[in-house]
Amino acid sequence: MIGCYVTGILPRPKELVEATRAYDRRKISEEELEKAFKEATIKVIEAQMSAGLSYVTDGMLKWQDLLRPFTENLEGIKAGALARWFNNNTFYRKPIVQSEIGLKKDITAELAYIEHLPNNIPWKIILPAPYTLARLSENKFYKNEGELMFSYAEALKTAIESLTRKGFKYIQLSDPAIVYNPLKEPISRDIIVDAKEALKTVVKNAKARTCLQTFFGDFSQIMPEALDFPVDDLGIDFYETNLEKLKEYKFDKGAALGLVDARNSLVEDENEIFTVAKEIIESIYPSKIHSLFICPNCDLEFLPWEKAEEKIRVISRVAKRLRAELGIHE
Amino acid sequence: MNKLFPTHEIGSLAKPAWRVKGYRGEPLSESEIAEAVDWGQRLGMVGVNELIKILKKRERTPEDRRAILEWSARFVIRFFENAGLDIVFDGEQWRSEMYEHVIRNVEGFKFLGYVKSFDYRYFNKAACISKPKYVKPFYVEEFIFTRKNTSREVKVPFTGPYTLVDWTFNEYYEKKLGGKIKDFKRRKMEARGEFLFDLIKEVIRPEIGRLVEAEARWIQIDEPAATTNPSAEEMELFVEAFNETVKGFNCIFSLHNCYSNYEVLAKYASQLRNCSQLALEFANRDSRQTGNNEVRVGYRELKLFEDYGFKGKYGLGVIDVHTDFVEPPELVRDRILYAAKVVGDPNRIYVSTDCGLRTRTWEVSFAKLKNMVLGAELARKALVQS
Repeated sequence: MIGCYVTGILPRPKELVEATRAYDRRKISEEELEKAFKEATIKVIEAQMSAGLSYVTDGMLKWQDLLRPFTENLEGIKAGALARWFNNNTFYRKPIVQSEIGLKKDITAELAYIEHLPNNIPWKIILPAPYTLARLSENKFYKNEGELMFSYAEALKTAIESLTRKGFKYIQLSDPAIVYNPLKEPISRDIIVDAKEALKTVVKNAKARTCLQTFFGDFSQIMPEALDFPVDDLGIDFYETNLEKLKEYKFDKGAALGLVDARNSLVEDENEIFTVAKEIIESIYPSKIHSLFICPNCDLEFLPWEKAEEKIRVISRVAKRLRAELGIHE
Repeated sequence: MNKLFPTHEIGSLAKPAWRVKGYRGEPLSESEIAEAVDWGQRLGMVGVNELIKILKKRERTPEDRRAILEWSARFVIRFFENAGLDIVFDGEQWRSEMYEHVIRNVEGFKFLGYVKSFDYRYFNKAACISKPKYVKPFYVEEFIFTRKNTSREVKVPFTGPYTLVDWTFNEYYEKKLGGKIKDFKRRKMEARGEFLFDLIKEVIRPEIGRLVEAEARWIQIDEPAATTNPSAEEMELFVEAFNETVKGFNCIFSLHNCYSNYEVLAKYASQLRNCSQLALEFANRDSRQTGNNEVRVGYRELKLFEDYGFKGKYGLGVIDVHTDFVEPPELVRDRILYAAKVVGDPNRIYVSTDCGLRTRTWEVSFAKLKNMVLGAELARKALVQS
C-alpha cells in the first residue's frame, strides 16, 4: 500500500490557542476549556479525513509534550523543570523517575479523545518510544538508563494492549532521541541493540501495525540494524537524513517518508516531493515495494494550524500520485 | 570603568499596567493609576502630575500615547539609577518584545500566528517571505531618549541576528534554493546561512551604524538561541554571525546568552572577536548558601570559558530572575568573589542579573537590584581588606 498520515502532535487551531491562553489567565473555566478542546479535536480530525489520510489521529491537542501523558500518569514519575525539546524553541517537562515505574490504570482517555474518532477510517495512536522516554528522563531510581528503558517498555506494552482493544490499528512510537546526534558522536551499536530489545517488549502483544518514527536526526546512523527492529514500518526525517547515504540500503519492511517539513511554513512543491519520493522508492525497494507512507518529518505542532492543514493536503496528494504512477492500490 | 565590579541589568523590566493599558488606550483602574503615583514618589520623579492627567483621560491622542512611553522609560531609568546601577537603560519599555519589536519594524517578514512554546504558552512566529529590508531605525530613538535622561553609562540591548533567524520560518531562502540543491538537509542549512548574512548586512549593521552615529558606546547583542543547535556547523555559523555583526564599528560589544548549554558556548566563546564581555546566567544554577567555595555550584562553568581561552570580561549573573527570592548582599558578594577567584582577575568581572527582570514585579526587582549593588560593594571591600 501507499498511504499517508500525520506523525505527531498537531497545532492547536486559533480558537483553541485563545481558549488555552484565556484559561491560563483564569478568564475561562475548566468546562469552557474542555469544550474548546473537543471542538478543535473535531476540526483537526475532519481535516485529516477530508484530506483523505489512510489513518487518523485525534490530533493530540491536549498533549503538552510527547512525554507528558506518561510523565503525569505513570507511577513513580513526577514532572520536573522545563527543558529544551531537542534543537527547537519549544520546551518539555523533564520526567523525574523517583521510584519503580508502573501503569495500573487505563490511560486511554488521557491519550486520545476516542469518542470523536470516525468509524470508517482506521485509527492511529502516537506514543513515545522507550529509548526516547529513558533518554529524556532524569533517572533517580534505576541502576542505569537501560533498566529504566525496559521499565518504560513494560508500561508502554500495557498501554498499547488497551489501546488496541479499544480499536487503534496503527501504533507509532516516536523516537527522536535515537537519531538526534548534533555532536556527531558515533552512536553505540549496543544502544541500538538495547533499543531493539525494548521495542520487542513494547510491541509483543500489539494487534496493530507498528512503526518506529525517527526525527530531528539522520536515520542512516541506525542502519542497517534498524531493518531488524520488530516493527512494520520505519519512519525517516528527510530534512535531517543524508539522502545519498540512505539510498545505499535496501528495505525489506515498510517505510514512512517524512518528506514534508513540519519545521518550516513554506508549503512544499508537490512535484518535487513526488519526484524525490519516487527516487527513494526506486532505490530502497528495487524489486518489491513494501508498505509506504508519505508523512511530515515530525510533529506539525511547530506550525500554525492553517499551514499544517495545507501540508496535510500535500502528503495526501503526493501519496495519490504515487499510487497512480506505480499502479498500487491504497 | 575605573571601579571594580560595575553593575548592570541585562535589559528588560516589567511594563507597569499603566504603560501597557495606557498605551493601548484602555481605561485604567484607580489602583493602576495609584501605582504610577506611588512609584513616581519613591523614585523622586518630577512632574508626574502630567502623566496622571494623561492616564485619567477617557480618550488618548497619539501624543498622549507617545508621552506614556516616554514616562515609563523615564521611570525605569530612574529606577535603575536609584537602585544604584552603574550602567543603565530604559528597561526596554518602548519595545513590545525582543523578537516582535525588530521583526515588525523591518520589511520582508509576515507574522503567521501563535505556535506553542510550552504548555499553554505560545509565541507569535513570523516567516521571512522576501529579502529583509531596513526601513527605519528601531532602537535609535529609544537610545537617544535614554542618553538624554541619564548621566550614567548607557548600554543598548540589541536582539541578535542568529536568534532572529532561529525564531523565524525561512520561507524566502528555502524557496529560492528549491530545485537548486537536492538534499533537503543541505538546502535548509544553505538557506539559513543566506538568510542570516542578508539580515546582518541589510538590517542589523545599518541599525548598529545609526546607533554608533548617535554615539552609542556599548551595544549588547542578545542571543538566547546561541546554543539551540549545538552542532559544530551551527556554532560556527553563530560565531561568524557575531563577528560579521560587530566588524569595524567603533563601539564596545558584548554578548548576552542565558538558559543555554554553556559547555557548548564555552568552546566557541574565544572565537568571538570584539566581544568585550559575556553576560551569562549563573544564579539560576547556583545554591543559596553563602561561601566562595564549592557551594558555588552554579558558577562552575565559568572555568570552562577560562579553560577554552576566553579573555574578555564576564557579566556575571548573580540575580535569579525567575524567583521572588531576594538574594542577600552577602550571597551576591560571595558569588562575585568566587568568580573573581576562578577568573584570577577581579577587573574582568562585571555584576549583573541572569537575564532581564521583566517577569518580576517592580517591588521584587528593586529589592533584588539594591542587594546586587550592595553585594558588589561588599565584594569590593572584601578585596581591599584581603
